[in-house]
Amino acid sequence: MNRITRILTATVLVAFLTAPAFAQAKGYPSRTIECYAPSGAGGGWDLTIRTVSKTLTDTGLVKVAMPVENKSGGGGAVFLTALQSMKKKDNVLTVYSPPLLFININGTTPFSYKNTTPLARLITDFGAFVVRKDSKYTSIAQVIEDLRKNPTSVKFGGNSAAGSMDHIQFLVVAKAAGLTGLKNIQFISFQDNAGAAQLLGGHIDMLSTGLGDVRGLVESGDLRVLASTAPTRPSFGIGKDVPTVREQGIPVDFLNWRGIFGPPEMPAYAVKFWRDTFARMVKTPEWQKSCEANGWVQNYADQPEFEQFLEAQNKLAREILTELGMAK
Amino acid sequence: MNEALSQLFLGFQVALTPINIMWTTLGGVLGTIIGMLPGLGPATGVAVLLPLTFKMGPVGAMITMAGVYYGAMFGGSRASILLNTPGDGAAIATCFDGYPMTQKGRAEAALAMSAVASFIGGMIANVAMVFVAVPVAKFSLKFGPAEYTLLMLFALAATAAMSKEKILQGFIGMVFGLMISTVGLDGLTGVNRFTFNILELMGGIDFLIIIIGIYALGEVFKSFKSVHDPSYKMQTKFGKITFTKEDWKRSWPAILRSTPLGFFIGALPGAGGTMAALMAYNNEKSLSKHPEEFGKGAIEGLAAPEAANNASSVGALIPMMTLGIPGSGTTAVMLGALLMLGLQPGPLLFTKQPEVAWGMIASMFIGNVILLIINMPMASILVRVLSVPAKVLYPLILGLAFIGTYAITNSVVDFFILIAFGLIGIFLDKAKIPTAPLILGGIVGSTMETSFRQALMLSDGNMRIFHGSPITKVLIGLTIFSIAWPFIEGAIKSAKRSRTA
Repeated sequence: MNRITRILTATVLVAFLTAPAFAQAKGYPSRTIECYAPSGAGGGWDLTIRTVSKTLTDTGLVKVAMPVENKSGGGGAVFLTALQSMKKKDNVLTVYSPPLLFININGTTPFSYKNTTPLARLITDFGAFVVRKDSKYTSIAQVIEDLRKNPTSVKFGGNSAAGSMDHIQFLVVAKAAGLTGLKNIQFISFQDNAGAAQLLGGHIDMLSTGLGDVRGLVESGDLRVLASTAPTRPSFGIGKDVPTVREQGIPVDFLNWRGIFGPPEMPAYAVKFWRDTFARMVKTPEWQKSCEANGWVQNYADQPEFEQFLEAQNKLAREILTELGMAK
Repeated sequence: MNEALSQLFLGFQVALTPINIMWTTLGGVLGTIIGMLPGLGPATGVAVLLPLTFKMGPVGAMITMAGVYYGAMFGGSRASILLNTPGDGAAIATCFDGYPMTQKGRAEAALAMSAVASFIGGMIANVAMVFVAVPVAKFSLKFGPAEYTLLMLFALAATAAMSKEKILQGFIGMVFGLMISTVGLDGLTGVNRFTFNILELMGGIDFLIIIIGIYALGEVFKSFKSVHDPSYKMQTKFGKITFTKEDWKRSWPAILRSTPLGFFIGALPGAGGTMAALMAYNNEKSLSKHPEEFGKGAIEGLAAPEAANNASSVGALIPMMTLGIPGSGTTAVMLGALLMLGLQPGPLLFTKQPEVAWGMIASMFIGNVILLIINMPMASILVRVLSVPAKVLYPLILGLAFIGTYAITNSVVDFFILIAFGLIGIFLDKAKIPTAPLILGGIVGSTMETSFRQALMLSDGNMRIFHGSPITKVLIGLTIFSIAWPFIEGAIKSAKRSRTA
C-alpha cells in the first residue's frame, strides 16, 4: 500500500468515525435514514413505514434516501432487541402499534415502549367484529348476550396469537359491556391470515380483525361488520357505514394506532427534526391520499401527547392481560 | 365460459404490450435466478421488488411478481438436479430422483424434463385458473381446522410409502420432523415452546434452513473426504438438453396426474408448493409399476413434483385474486403491493380492475412460454457446473448456503441451526434415516397440531368433528388406503410369486 492510499484511508476512516459528531442540527439529516419494519414484507407495519418513507422523499421533506428493511420475528420483539444496540443513533426510524405493549406485558421481551423514543402517532385503524352475510347476529350486543349465557357458545377467532391484538380488542369491549370471566371466552388463533377464509367457510362464527383488513370482502357483501371499535364513525372507507360499539351502548373504544419510533436516547436535534417533519407530513395532500387509499384514519399526535397515550394504553392492556392470567 | 374467454382476451391485450412483455420476461428470469440460489425463494424475490412497484404501476407490478413466483419454480429444480441442493422448499422432491439421474450421467435429460414438466404444469394450471378459479376457491373454503388436520395426516401417511423398506427409520425421521415443528410461539395459548429465551426461535425454525442444512451442507460434509480422491470423476462431456421417447412415455401420465393435485393444494391457504411436490412424488411412487427405481433416478419421480409445484404457484394466486386472502408467504407480499398501489384486493378486483387481474393471468401464459425458451439454452450452460472441480464447487455451495440462510430471516442465530443440521444430515445418512419423512413431518407438523387443537376448540372437545363432513370422510379413507397400500401391494406380489413358483 503506498503512502497516498494510506493517508486517504486514514482520512476516510476519521471522517466516518467523527461523522455523528458533525451531524448536528444544522444540515441534519445528511446521511441515509435507516427505516425498519419489525415484520415481514407486506404486513401492516411494513405498509406504514414504506408509505411514510415514500411520502417524505416524494414531497421533499426529507432529502436523503430512506430505504426500508424488514427485521421480523417474535411479533416485533426481535427488532425491539436489535433497537437497543442502536442507542443514541440519529438515523434510525421504525414503526410499532399496540403489540409493542403486549409483547412486553406478556413477557415475550423485557423491553417496553420506554426503551424507545416515541416520535409521533400517525394513523389508526379500528378493530372490527365481522360475521358472514347470513349470520344470525346483527349487533355486537347479541354476541355479548350469548357469551354471557355460555362463554363457549360463540366461536370467535382472529389472525393474531392469543393475548395479542385481535384477542385483546374484543375482550376490551366484552369487559366494558360488563362481561366477567373473560378467561373462559375461547379465542381461536389462525396463522397466515387464514381467519377470513375460516369465517367465510363457516368454521367460526365471528372474526375479530382490523376494519381495513376485510374491506374487500365487506364491499362485495360476503361479510358483515357488526361493530367497529372507533370512538366515532370515520368519514370515509367502510367505517362510515359501520356502527361503533359506543353507538350500541358499550362505552369503550380501541385504537389500532401506528406510530413512528426512534432508538432509545435519540439525540435531541434528531427528535426535534422528526417531530417537525411528521407534523408537516400529515398535512400534505400526498399523505392524505395514501391514508384514504389504505383506509387509514389520520390520528396524528405529537410526542408529548403520544407518550401520555402510550402510558394509558399500556395500563389498559395490562389490566386485561392480568385478568387473562397472561401478564408476566 | 364465453365471458371468461372475452375477459382473457382483454387480459392478453394488456399483457401483449411491449412493456408488459418486458416485465413478464424480467420477472420470470429474476425468479429463475432467485429460485436457483439456495434459500432465496419466491417470497424473498417478490419482497425485493416491493420498492420498485411504485414505478411499475399495478399491472406491471402484478405481472412481474407473478413472473418471479412461477420463475422460481422453474429455477428451484436446477440446483436440486445438479448439486442435490434444493433452491427452495418446493424443489426438494426434485432432489430425490433428479440428483441420482445426474450421478448416472443423465443431468441433461433431467434438466430438460424438469423444464418441460414445469411448463406443462404451469400451462394447465393457467387454463384452470381462467375457468375454475371461483369454484375452486369456494371448495377450498370448506376446509376448516378438522379438514386441515386430516389433510396433514394424509400427507404424513406418505411416510409409509416413502420408506417402504425401512419403515422404522422412516417413522423416526418423521417424528423428529414433528418435534422440530413444535419450536416457537404457540399462537393458541401465546406460550413459547422450546425457545430457551432465544427471541429468534419464537417464529419457529424455518424449514428451508433445515433443508439447506441437511442437503447443501450435508452434501459438502459427506463429500469432504472425496475432494482429494483421484478417483472422483467430473463430467467433462455434455450432451444436448433433451430427453428420450422412453422418458416421455414414463413421464407424461405423472405430469397430468400431478398438475391438478398441485393446483388444488396450492389453492388451499397454508398448504403450498413444498407439500404439493412431496405429495405428488409420493403419489407417483405408490402408483408406479416399478417403485424400486424411485430414488435411483426414475424420471417420472422428477416430472411429478416439477409439474405439481408450478401448478401450485398458480393455485396459490386463487385465494388472493378471488377473496383478497393471502394463500402463501409470496402472495402475502403481493397483496401488500396491491394495497400500496392503492388497489383493494378482494372479490371485486376482477370487476373493478379487470386489466390488473386478467392482465396478470394472461401474462402467465406468455411467461411460461418465455421461460421454457430461456430455460433450455440456460440449462446447457448450467450443466457445466458439473465440470467444476469439487474443491472449487464445495466452498461455493457453502457460501451460497450461508447467504441464502441469512436472506430468510436476517438472523445470525440461523447460522448455528444451519450448521447443526448439516451435522445432523451426516448422522441421518449413517443411521440410514431417510430425510424426506423428516422434512414432511416438519412442514406439516405445526399446521396439523394447531388445526387439531382449533378443531377441538370449535367442537368443545368432541372428536366427531373429525368425521362429520364428507371431506373428512374422504380424507380418512385416503389416509387408511395410503398406509395400507404398501402392505397390500406386497401381499399381492408375494401371492403372485408363490403362484408362479
